[in-house]
Amino acid sequence: MNRSSEQGPEVTIRRVGREDVDFVVKDMDLALANSFRRVMIGEIPTLAIDLVEIEINTSVLADEFIAHRLGLIPLESTLVDNLLFTRDCDCDQYCDKCSVELMLSARCTTDATMDVYTRDLMVTTVSQYNNYDNNNNNNLGQPICNDQEGKGILICKLRKHQELRLKCVAKKGIAKEHAKWSPTAAMGFEYDPWNKLRHTDYWYEEDANEEWPKSANCDWEEPPRENEPFDYNAKPNQYYFTVESAGSLKQHDIVMRGIDVLQKKLAGIIFELKVLDETSEKSRLDTEFQGTAYGQTPNPEYNWN
Amino acid sequence: MEDEVEEQSAQVLDPTKFKILPGASEDGSAASFQLMNEDHTLGYSLQYVIMKNPEVEFCGYSIPHPSEPKMNIRIQTYGKISAIDALESGLDNLIDLCDVVEEKFIEQVNSGNYKSEEP
Repeated sequence: MNRSSEQGPEVTIRRVGREDVDFVVKDMDLALANSFRRVMIGEIPTLAIDLVEIEINTSVLADEFIAHRLGLIPLESTLVDNLLFTRDCDCDQYCDKCSVELMLSARCTTDATMDVYTRDLMVTTVSQYNNYDNNNNNNLGQPICNDQEGKGILICKLRKHQELRLKCVAKKGIAKEHAKWSPTAAMGFEYDPWNKLRHTDYWYEEDANEEWPKSANCDWEEPPRENEPFDYNAKPNQYYFTVESAGSLKQHDIVMRGIDVLQKKLAGIIFELKVLDETSEKSRLDTEFQGTAYGQTPNPEYNWN
Repeated sequence: MEDEVEEQSAQVLDPTKFKILPGASEDGSAASFQLMNEDHTLGYSLQYVIMKNPEVEFCGYSIPHPSEPKMNIRIQTYGKISAIDALESGLDNLIDLCDVVEEKFIEQVNSGNYKSEEP
């Protein structure tokens, strides 16, 4: 084993923006780096609107169109661990333990067009986890309004006498099921910016080096020497991540929770393995392994072939 | 932390999560396992750490059909340890590896040794 496996991976944060973090991980295998990427995009639980009960919709947009838009709105999810997945909850459809309710009610009474923004969505669930004194910053299910005016996302426009009245139920979920639950808006992932490993093939007209722009990460690695022979033993070793939050979770939270989710998956399997320990299958494998049951007739209940 | 993980797993204990597939060797040094609801996220990393074990001769994973949430993993050892032990130590090692990365990340965040843009 090389130096990397003894010391473990190294992390360098290069930049932290308003909703993104840019960091480099060194001395790690591509397999694990890619697992982190995948888990951060697709498997961190967040909150998103999942059910919409439309009471009145006289706007120009169809019900399902608005429902789809509502689903994609990022909702504050820092405290989402306090909620259950609906499938694990004992309620019939949804309840306070597994969902957050939001109301939207807007009616245009003037001649001017009225804009309905996400800030008009009101969280109606009184949750015990929310800290209402703290200026509503961490409240579960609060729509994210990160723009300068604090209006949030435009949901729809209403003409005079048009009305929109609906109830939304936000549930906990992961992006593997639907992308609306993804906490990451964009995920930058790069390794080997000089393409020394030939993992990619640049299309070109005359000269690939001339026609393709250099990656910003090229400054972090040695450029290839001229006529350098291809090193077929080389392995990627340095990974450039840019995690951009969609708003539901803080960028640092996405990274840390991503790792936690991966660990919980592993811990879950270890747990199942331990449960299996008590069943015949594993003990059979184990006793056989010690050589005591060598050559015995296989367990008739289990088809070994 | 460990108790917490255990508790959570106990809550979602799912007897169909893990299965030993037919095709294990008589002495238990080679076996195939099937994990439900897992994919490349776990598969590739797990294959990598298990292969890092010098006692392991072969480890590979596959997702037999894209429409089924199943992941099969095959482990063959040189005979000193059983396939299940190899899997278990692989899982443990991967958790440790994750711990290191998370620790270093938090350490870096707290050190404040980076450029930042305030809102």
